Amino acid sequence: MTESAPPPEANPSVRRPPRGSGWKQRAPEPVRFVWDSVVMGWRWLTRMRTALYLLAALAVLSVIGTFAPQEPNVPSTVAEWRSGEAGPGVAVSQVLDAIGAYDMYGSVAFTVLLFLLYLSLTACLVPRIKAWIRLVRRSKPPVVRRAGARDETATFATDATADEVHTHAEDLLRRRRWRVRRHDEVSEDATDDGGTAVRGRSAPAQVAGEKGLVSREGGSLLFHLSFYVLLAAIIFGQLLTFEGQRGVVEGEAGFRDTAVSYWSYSPGRWFGEGDHAGWRMELEEFHVDWVRDPLAPGAGQPTEFRSDVLITPSDGSEPYRETIDSNQPIDIEGRQVTQLDWGYAPRVVVEVDGEVVHDGFITPTLEDSGAYRGAVKAPAAEPDVGLDIFFYPFAPEDEELGRPIPTGAPWDEAPMLLFQQYRGDLQLGATQQTVNQLDTSALDSEGGGYLRPGQELSSHDVTVRFPELRRWVGFQVSSRPAIPALLAGAALLVGGLIPALYAYRRRLWVFATPDAASGRTLVTVAGRAFQRPDAFVEEHARIVEELSSRVSGSEVADPEDGAGPTGAGGSDDGAIDGGPSDRIDDDGAGRRDAPSTDRDPEPALHDQPATADAAPDHEVARP
Amino acid sequence: MSQDQLAEFSRLLYSPTTLLLYFTAAFVYLYALTTTVGRRAEQLRGQRAQRLAGVVTVLALIAHLAHEVVRALAQDRLPLGNMFEVTSLMALAGVITGLVYLQFIRHRPELNGFVLLGGGLVLALAGLMYAEPGPLMPILDTWWRTFHVTLLVVAMGIFAAAFMFNGLYLLRDTAERSVADARAGGAGGSTVGAAYVGDLQSDPTGGSGGDGGDGPDDDEVDRDQLRQYHAALRAGIPPLKLATGTFVTTGLVSWVFWYSADTHLEGVTRFLAVNLVMVAAALLSRWFVPFLPSTATLDGLAHRTTAFAFVLWTVGVIAGAMWAEISWGRFWGWDPKETGSFLTWIAYAGYLHARATRGIKGRGAAWINVGAFVVLMGTYLIANYVVVGLHSYADL
Repeated sequence: MTESAPPPEANPSVRRPPRGSGWKQRAPEPVRFVWDSVVMGWRWLTRMRTALYLLAALAVLSVIGTFAPQEPNVPSTVAEWRSGEAGPGVAVSQVLDAIGAYDMYGSVAFTVLLFLLYLSLTACLVPRIKAWIRLVRRSKPPVVRRAGARDETATFATDATADEVHTHAEDLLRRRRWRVRRHDEVSEDATDDGGTAVRGRSAPAQVAGEKGLVSREGGSLLFHLSFYVLLAAIIFGQLLTFEGQRGVVEGEAGFRDTAVSYWSYSPGRWFGEGDHAGWRMELEEFHVDWVRDPLAPGAGQPTEFRSDVLITPSDGSEPYRETIDSNQPIDIEGRQVTQLDWGYAPRVVVEVDGEVVHDGFITPTLEDSGAYRGAVKAPAAEPDVGLDIFFYPFAPEDEELGRPIPTGAPWDEAPMLLFQQYRGDLQLGATQQTVNQLDTSALDSEGGGYLRPGQELSSHDVTVRFPELRRWVGFQVSSRPAIPALLAGAALLVGGLIPALYAYRRRLWVFATPDAASGRTLVTVAGRAFQRPDAFVEEHARIVEELSSRVSGSEVADPEDGAGPTGAGGSDDGAIDGGPSDRIDDDGAGRRDAPSTDRDPEPALHDQPATADAAPDHEVARP
Repeated sequence: MSQDQLAEFSRLLYSPTTLLLYFTAAFVYLYALTTTVGRRAEQLRGQRAQRLAGVVTVLALIAHLAHEVVRALAQDRLPLGNMFEVTSLMALAGVITGLVYLQFIRHRPELNGFVLLGGGLVLALAGLMYAEPGPLMPILDTWWRTFHVTLLVVAMGIFAAAFMFNGLYLLRDTAERSVADARAGGAGGSTVGAAYVGDLQSDPTGGSGGDGGDGPDDDEVDRDQLRQYHAALRAGIPPLKLATGTFVTTGLVSWVFWYSADTHLEGVTRFLAVNLVMVAAALLSRWFVPFLPSTATLDGLAHRTTAFAFVLWTVGVIAGAMWAEISWGRFWGWDPKETGSFLTWIAYAGYLHARATRGIKGRGAAWINVGAFVVLMGTYLIANYVVVGLHSYADL
């Protein structure tokens, strides 16, 4: 501690003990090195530039994820890229694999980056939140000695006293929801009630106002905090969600909401088998149509996808009918049921020596050629029977050729089932094959043929029949309990974004001083905006206009030195001549003199603009 | 009228009517811009030209709106279903928002010409994706689509306007910097026009263009010096560099037109057409650099428009996620266009953050804005023409 007190003007020099005098001084060198690195890393994380780099890196990873096939979506394409059958080649593929590009959004790099981004966000937000809370609880608009050189300034004269003008200004600003601070020169000369130092010379009587700082920064904080809500909602959503897909053929038995009845089933970690409701759903009819006229606009485009379903609730009550449309999923006991997919479901019966070895609907999938590709696997026969199937919904008979010509049209006006027959070993369970794929490596071809609905074809003791054609619809059943939280996060995000971008921080000062020469009161309204200066110019003009009309202000006729304060721009609205007589009820009652207006070293307000150009920072009190 | 006649009528309203009106209004406005630094008589002529341009602009907007309405009638649905319609609406949204903002909020009607020029270019771009009116896929036929697509299209249009302000800012800033450099390092650098650069700071003529004819007494302005100053500003932007830069930047996106064309000849033609038109627009803007308002004004215009569009984009993407949950059964699936819209959002968020950061704001932020617009247009075109996803509607 020094013995002589510092001069009151200067900031008292604060002697802090050297930081971290405790354990860090005693800690061994490696520990100190690690600690310093952590501190440096933290500082690096808090920088805006770092956040921008991290965002850019996230963008780059997303671009890679867009161009590289993603294993969770298209595993077959990824396999082709890996083997070199498609894509940029094996070498590039290995690089892509190394960085996890085939599952970008689940990759280590993406997770680490996301973690760093959130860390950076946190590092940035913690001090900002502290500062904001301090701001909300304690801050007051600063008192200044005079308007600044670059402030938006307007001056007018009035017959009201300075005190009255200040009272009106205070009221007006409060009504406009400004934070207001009234400063009386005399009373506040010695001590400032805000605890701020009015250094040396005092500030003139004034009303100081500030607005927008809480909402702008608060909005920005809300916007950034919403990311935590979104992250939590996504993580818990992953854990609690359930999603299952199941294809249902028209008029068939349908399915129950149980763990085993879905074709593809992806429950979250916290979704147990017991959470299934157990209701039953059947597809009664699927409606689909297209623009069939080849010359009509939009030819070939679908016009309708609609499923009529029958639902039996889990409590065994009466079944009821529902319609699922392409943009209208239904809700069954808290599960959303969506139409995902549809296709034709030909019924294929296979008999070997008069004995039925296969009778069921197959669900072939649409290929680019317009053919639906599927397979029949009949391991019940000895040896196995396999049919490789191409289904064409519209294959009209060609008169001249005497055989059907497949077209790519999707409507079932002339359905045709084209098949290739195989005998041998299907290798079910031995090799990887999907429902609609035959592994022909251990099968022998026995020729094939085509069938119209109701027809049958026999060769090599095998009879294939195509009795009827129906449709199937792929439904998705999902449960996403985190949706409300996500929506709340999104609402916070937008709700914070708008004030963060549109609220703007601005300060305003109203100085009223008696003018000895004219005997009137000169009112100067000065202010500045930290953002959106154009919006502030208009707001300033409106405030000047309103204040002026309240106190019957009039334009300053002839500014003494030719550099009238009105010259600062944007003040043309401040010149209100003879506004309506206002409610200044104490007009004649007690017109006191405004506090001391002696020409002290302080420059008088109304000749401020003449000197203001050279004025340095002029605030005397900051919150 | 029959549907076919309506379709034909809407096509005529689009081209040549609306396109011609846009470009006419743009050029009359741009002519008026050049008079704001001239003598009184010239300024009066400019004011008359501006009024004329205003009338043409109103006609252009009426024609454009009529085109949309007639097209809606011809196909009995809102024109928001394919890329032509979306691009056309993007132009309309950008032009209306830009004009309203400049004319009524910022009171800078002299810049209207650039908005109309940009709108005309976007509208011409729509012509590359022209599609006859037709019905809508059932999955698209919902209120959600109207909401989601409208928000994003309007945001795109405003982002385009912001891109234009931003480009003008970069041009003006480059020109001013090079003149200031020439002045500072007179011995080393070029001294062309250095005689007049003393006015660069106060900028009594060029910078305050359009303040309403209350500038200095024009007869006192030395016309020669003014011309020299203008020439120096223009010379501050090397034309070859500008042209190459514009060509390459446009090429980052316009290769899609080559890629998606049926033949190479057609592809090259479309690619070159898009790029050369953009180069021409950049060079034209370069010529107008001396008449532009201050860099602070242009930067402010770019920032405010970007901020507005960013809010719309955010809400639009959220609406899209909500619709996807209903229609596709999941709210986010990293579909190419979902990824692209996310990238665009990140890029524009980066711009907004950069602009609030010391050391990056100004030119650094402006370049991020340029990059963000490239990402935006890339998303729009690539996700429709190149990477096939659930959002690909290029064939409609």
